[in-house]
Amino acid sequence: MSTLPIWQFDALLLIMVVLFAVVALSIRNLMGAAIVFGAYSFMMCLIWAGMGAVDVAFTEAAVGAGVSTVFVMSTLYNTGATMHRRTGGLAFKLFIGVVVTVAGVFLLSALPDLPAWGDPDSPVNAAVAPYYITHTIADAHVPNVVTSVLADYRGFDTLLETTVVFIACIAIYSILRVDKAKLETDEPAVVAAPRYDPGDSLIVRQASRFMVPFMQLFALYVIAHGHYSPGGGFQGGVILGASLILLAISFDLKFLLRQWSEKTLMMLVASGVFLYAAVGLACVFMGGNYLDYGELNSILPGERDMARSHGILLVEIGVGITVMFSMIAIHINLASNGRFDRGL
Amino acid sequence: MQNLISNFNYVIVVILMMIGLWSMLAQKNLIKKCIGMAIFQTGIILFFISIGAKDNALIPILTEAANHTYHDPDVAKVANPLTQILMLTAIVVGVATLGVGLALAQKIYQQHSSFDEDEILENQRK
Repeated sequence: MSTLPIWQFDALLLIMVVLFAVVALSIRNLMGAAIVFGAYSFMMCLIWAGMGAVDVAFTEAAVGAGVSTVFVMSTLYNTGATMHRRTGGLAFKLFIGVVVTVAGVFLLSALPDLPAWGDPDSPVNAAVAPYYITHTIADAHVPNVVTSVLADYRGFDTLLETTVVFIACIAIYSILRVDKAKLETDEPAVVAAPRYDPGDSLIVRQASRFMVPFMQLFALYVIAHGHYSPGGGFQGGVILGASLILLAISFDLKFLLRQWSEKTLMMLVASGVFLYAAVGLACVFMGGNYLDYGELNSILPGERDMARSHGILLVEIGVGITVMFSMIAIHINLASNGRFDRGL
Repeated sequence: MQNLISNFNYVIVVILMMIGLWSMLAQKNLIKKCIGMAIFQTGIILFFISIGAKDNALIPILTEAANHTYHDPDVAKVANPLTQILMLTAIVVGVATLGVGLALAQKIYQQHSSFDEDEILENQRK
């Protein structure tokens, strides 16, 4: 092991990331902060791709740089986009700064105990991970080890993570959604008047009309080809969701809601989790353990290993459906302030 | 000191986490708190990814297998897939929780017409 940083290019990117984080937090314009944060996420995804984590980088590019920026923007659209200049409070900020610095020094003091950067024999890399790498082909015929660990070896983890996305979607509904009948009698909600309506722009509308089919086709490829290349249900679902969010931004929220009513959206969010859980239950009825896709070989083509490969695909489709529609539902709630009429 | 330079990534992880924590505690604006939370989260994800990275390793996709010229892969030359999948799901859950945070912030804005913590507290005392 050399004593220099092993990835010099990464060292540059890591410094850039810290700069972007500081700028995102110190900039006074909140819309600007959201955009700088998107750039920060994109830098981060370059670093992860450099460290060999292509699936994670792909997810971050779709989620961190894409959808979460849109979420912050749709919140700002309904509220104010700037912070007021404030005087005072500097002592408090400095005090927190000192506390945080002390905590950081304590964390850094644990640094000698951590394995060296890029050490292939560290406990993390030597314990259970080699099993996945050497067995994935024989067990499930999936060259992308991340996909097989995600949906097969650690299927329970992914099932519950998908459930968390579903629960977050329900939470946002229960926080923001307001009843239309009640709204008419109540005082009108505080909403900033729209300053600019992107739906008015002919160029934006035509360009997005042209882009959306290609985005959706690519997303379906990402889900279906996740066994052989970076991708899978999470990434494909987010891209599918982003394509419909693009329609909602460039046309109108009503345009989207005409095709996907509120009820349909919620049922589809639930049906993705249901599909995942049902595949697991089907394995139990075939005589195996929960989420043991090998038992499905009597109804799916091929031997046990191919059945596992197909089971992974079914599960990824379930994840994709839940993620896609929960992203859309969260966007509609945030953009329209829970009123489902108009918004960003 | 030598350790600090060769394990530069952990230093960055700590800095990012502390920037995020500072923002969550010291900033008064609710949106800035949400962004700080997301930065804290990416710091932790960076920690997991860099702990699973290997020197001169390839991505965890065994391409020879797709061409049916498969033989046992060299484990030291394939990046750790386990830390990657743990973080992959964490990112998607992270955006969902960011959505919940923003929804709460929007609801507070409806009540108090402000994102500023001090103004909200003043409003409540009235």
